[in-house]
Amino acid sequence: MCLGIPMRVIARDGFVARCSARGIERDVSLFLLQHEPIDIGDHVVVHVGYAIQKIDPVAAAQAWELYDQMLAADAQDAGARNA
Amino acid sequence: MNAAAQARDWLARIAAIAPARPIRVMNVCGGHERSISMAGLRGVLPDWITLIPGPGCPVCVCPEEDVHAAIGLARRPGTIVVAFGDMLRVPTNGPRAQPRSLQEARAAGADVRPVASPAEAVRIAHENPRQELVFFAAGFETTSAPVAAMIAQGLPANMSVLLSARRTWPAVAMLLGADTPGFDALVAPGHVAAVMGSEEWRFVAERHGLPCAVAGFEPASLLAALHAVISQHISGRPALENCYEGVVTRGGNPTARALLDGVFETVDAPWRGIGTIPASGFAIRPELARLDARARFDIAADPARTRAGQMPPGCDCARVVLGRIAPDQCTLFGRACTPRTPVGPCMVSDEGACRIWWSAGTRRRRADAAD
Ligand code: SF4
Repeated sequence: MCLGIPMRVIARDGFVARCSARGIERDVSLFLLQHEPIDIGDHVVVHVGYAIQKIDPVAAAQAWELYDQMLAADAQDAGARNA
Repeated sequence: MNAAAQARDWLARIAAIAPARPIRVMNVCGGHERSISMAGLRGVLPDWITLIPGPGCPVCVCPEEDVHAAIGLARRPGTIVVAFGDMLRVPTNGPRAQPRSLQEARAAGADVRPVASPAEAVRIAHENPRQELVFFAAGFETTSAPVAAMIAQGLPANMSVLLSARRTWPAVAMLLGADTPGFDALVAPGHVAAVMGSEEWRFVAERHGLPCAVAGFEPASLLAALHAVISQHISGRPALENCYEGVVTRGGNPTARALLDGVFETVDAPWRGIGTIPASGFAIRPELARLDARARFDIAADPARTRAGQMPPGCDCARVVLGRIAPDQCTLFGRACTPRTPVGPCMVSDEGACRIWWSAGTRRRRADAAD
């Protein structure tokens, strides 16, 4: 649960940002990043719908290599449990 | 260099070290443990290094009385209880005739719903204005900060929060204060530090003389942190290193910290199966009592339920959480207890070490199992 997912900001309206990662789009709250300028194209770490930190794009891409693996493992795990 | 090459590079550097004595490195984050297990790091690291999962699962240590309070509220007419998904399956002790988890309460007709975010909880409250909505929120700092933000942004009149939030470092401080902490170095949690700052972990090196490094979740970042603490261990110069620089700063996220301070106060808090740890919990400030489900509803502590917040019979989760035993040292692991039929919370939560080890097929190595 303490794992945040990096996403890219694609639009912004006040504290709500439209963010995308791996083709999935979500509304993300920027309320916790009020102290920082967040622009379109920036990457943020998202946890339970809130951006908790900015992340540089290289680190974001590396993180995604790991999450792809985790998601695949989760799918397998869920499959095994429902079998 | 891509991430995989970086990871191989760190592995080679670690393999080239020949330390005089073995080293036990604890992590305190379910996300770290998942990465370690999924990447199979235990299998590829030299056998003088033992990786120990420690207190990294907020759902696992959520006191039984809080789960019972949530079940009690869910059974109250006109009330909806929402919680992060993991929480619904957490088993508690109690007579068979009564629901022993939120999921069982739901099966018995209570309105219990999983949510993935505070925003979803607020939306459900708005959609059901004639019902009371209680958000049962368990989590460490990374999750507590969004919950604080949600409260600061204003809740619908029919919504309150049953908070079971815990701070990570006081649990480590408690372990380090014991006669035998059981580990020689610490990998500090990346996203907790992203919120709270790396400085929170300096006490590990400076007060207790143990090597410490903040790590991210990719194998390369974890291996960099392991290399850092091993080097400190060998040189005898413990320090705090930040191996997650793209995300973690010394002071963390100032807005999040200010919100945590403004909305919550720090309290001594019980950890299931472990007992009360000083300054390890957040509670909603008294001036916000109307948003606090504990104050808003008559949550009577049932004395039969508060037997020191025990784990289910036969379940060794408390010792697993403290890193005293590895998950596969519990006699129920993989036999009576699997993710399909979990006996204890450590097999329920995605961040529970038992669940993670079972899913990744992790077992102790022979070298570690010998003692
Ligand atoms: S294997 Fe199951 S019963 Fe044993 S400690 Fe883990 S959760 Fe508890």
